[in-house]
Amino acid sequence: MAKRAALYGFLALILALLCLVPAFASDYVVSLFLDLLMWIALTESWIILSGYTGYISLGHSAFFGLGAYFMAMTWTHIPYALGVLSGGLVCLAFAFAIGFPFLRVRGPYFVILTLGLSEFTKYLFINLEIKLGGTVGRILMMTPGLETLYYSVLIVGTGATITAYFVKNSRFGIGLFSIKEEEDAANSLGINTSIYKWLAFGISAFFPGMVGAILALRRSYIDPYTVFSPAVSFQVIVMAFLGGFEDVEGALLGAVVLTLVSEALWAQYPYYYMIILGAIVIFIVKFMPLGVLHPIKQRLLKEPQ
Amino acid sequence: MRSRTLGYAIVSICLGFFLVASPAYSKDKIRIGFSMALTGIYSQGAVSQMNAYRVWKEKIDEEGGIFVKEFGKKLPVEFVYYDDKSSPETAVKVYEKLITRDKVDLLFTPWGTTIHFAVAPLAEKYRFPMVGSTASSVKLRQIKSRYFWFITSCIPDRQMEALVDLLKHLGVKTAAVIYVQDLFPRENLQFLKPALQKAKIETILIKDYPIGVKDLTTVLAQVKGKNPQALIALCYPADSFLVTGQTKGMGLNPDFLFELVGPSIAAFGKAFGKAAEGIATMGHWSPKGPWPGAKEFEQRYVKKWKMRPDYLDSVLSYVECQIIEEAVEKAGTLDREKIRDVIAGNEFQTINGPIRFTGAENLVTPSMILQYQKGGLEIIWPPGSATAAPLFPKPPWPARQ
Repeated sequence: MAKRAALYGFLALILALLCLVPAFASDYVVSLFLDLLMWIALTESWIILSGYTGYISLGHSAFFGLGAYFMAMTWTHIPYALGVLSGGLVCLAFAFAIGFPFLRVRGPYFVILTLGLSEFTKYLFINLEIKLGGTVGRILMMTPGLETLYYSVLIVGTGATITAYFVKNSRFGIGLFSIKEEEDAANSLGINTSIYKWLAFGISAFFPGMVGAILALRRSYIDPYTVFSPAVSFQVIVMAFLGGFEDVEGALLGAVVLTLVSEALWAQYPYYYMIILGAIVIFIVKFMPLGVLHPIKQRLLKEPQ
Repeated sequence: MRSRTLGYAIVSICLGFFLVASPAYSKDKIRIGFSMALTGIYSQGAVSQMNAYRVWKEKIDEEGGIFVKEFGKKLPVEFVYYDDKSSPETAVKVYEKLITRDKVDLLFTPWGTTIHFAVAPLAEKYRFPMVGSTASSVKLRQIKSRYFWFITSCIPDRQMEALVDLLKHLGVKTAAVIYVQDLFPRENLQFLKPALQKAKIETILIKDYPIGVKDLTTVLAQVKGKNPQALIALCYPADSFLVTGQTKGMGLNPDFLFELVGPSIAAFGKAFGKAAEGIATMGHWSPKGPWPGAKEFEQRYVKKWKMRPDYLDSVLSYVECQIIEEAVEKAGTLDREKIRDVIAGNEFQTINGPIRFTGAENLVTPSMILQYQKGGLEIIWPPGSATAAPLFPKPPWPARQ
């Protein structure tokens, strides 16, 4: 129990420090942390479906973009906080609407289907925008300051992490893991796998929707090509795999390590950082296929014996 | 539990690393910061801009720097730049870093309309003057910033009006339009359609095609079936090569062939050689223009990079450098508020002629049309800026060797 209390204390301290960042750090550092929290929110929400059930989704960029467009279309018409929340809810509703047919498809077919989903939404918005406004891009005026956006992402990131934690340690989470182990067997044991997957898909879509809504205001100019960029989906997967995609700490570590390492390399070696980063990712995937956290954990678990 | 402690320790160290104070710099040089798409979808286009910035820096180095009266001497220029990965929020972060951490003296602009729009609010927030280069959209008029201006005159509404004026002048009666499903081409289409209608030029076909298209024969076959007098291709660099190559391959010979973006790039002239003769495109510069320094710029660029500049992006970027340079000299200080006032209220002599800003827009330079003639690009419209008469009708494609 003492250990657990110490852990909670440590986490509370980190959270308190994160709250204080805008007070003492330069705008650049704040925006770096904003980046970091954004990736944490995206990765943590991604593992709820893909990490726990093994249904690898490339749909995060679709939800991110949808949230961004929802915000862009309602900006200055409804209050900021409501816009962010509704951005998430729209994605939740969208995921629920398409969830049943989508989740009947398994394995690589599911991956391709979700990739198709983000391309579909992208072109849908290109044509919708042409019909509605004549051009495609939208400029957002009078956007909130860096600090407001930072605290919003902090809340969403914390929310995603806590949600991922509670889902994993619940009956619902055990059900999700059983889908990963052997879906048909789980089904025969009385777990309603369709409902489980469907719920996980919805929860997993809720957070990228909110992140997209916030980030739209940070960019202040959005168009479908950049907000529905598949890079978002791919980077989330790399982060989850780096840290370990089966648990909250792994996803957190992956997001933190990749963001900070790529930031450090990026500033130092503008022309080579991608090569170095690629080499690091290949190395980790080759030698630590379950994430960097996994071998450390295993060694420490074996030690007492 | 030890594993967790270790993990947290690593994270804490990483975080601490980024909180160390930024180094201080002395004021014996002018530090200019910008972000550039060194990687990602815009990286190919961005080369033309980066190269132009470097050509300008080389010129300043040769001259021993920019004279700043406040310091009573010439100050050399130093570039501080980062990769924006072709991503708007990375660019925003870069400019925040340049302003608040690297504490640069001045800013140059990144590549592309999207990224320009993403960083524009920072100019206002931090009171940093920025002269936009490689960006164009009718939306730029919505940016009501005291600190941001755009050089381009290829703004879709004005550009399409110039094109249709030329078609009318040439006596064109029928036109076919093909366009790629991308932002800038589609924005142009919105203004092209009513302009053609107003000029009583019959639009006999409007057809689109997706980004990344690999074959246009079906689209072009439809065009050929209608036999229009003019073919207007609202294309981007990648598909401009396809449009040209396949139009040629099919023996489709309109009297007038316009390609929106692409022909101004050096590689285009190289790839098509004599076949490029008569192809028209948008742009507002040619080394033959009556502007001081235009020829020298091209020579300098060719000498350094072994190819001619892009008549759009490279030129816009160089003009941006010139405006900043002149503004610093005129202001006699690195005080950004004074530099802003100079940019907002003065006319600048550039390799693209005199430029003065009205609001955020450059209304001095007219929208022009360029055309390949004898291997080089000539300005053929409007008459006041033309370096050559339009070649009309466009000569048929050279016979296959």
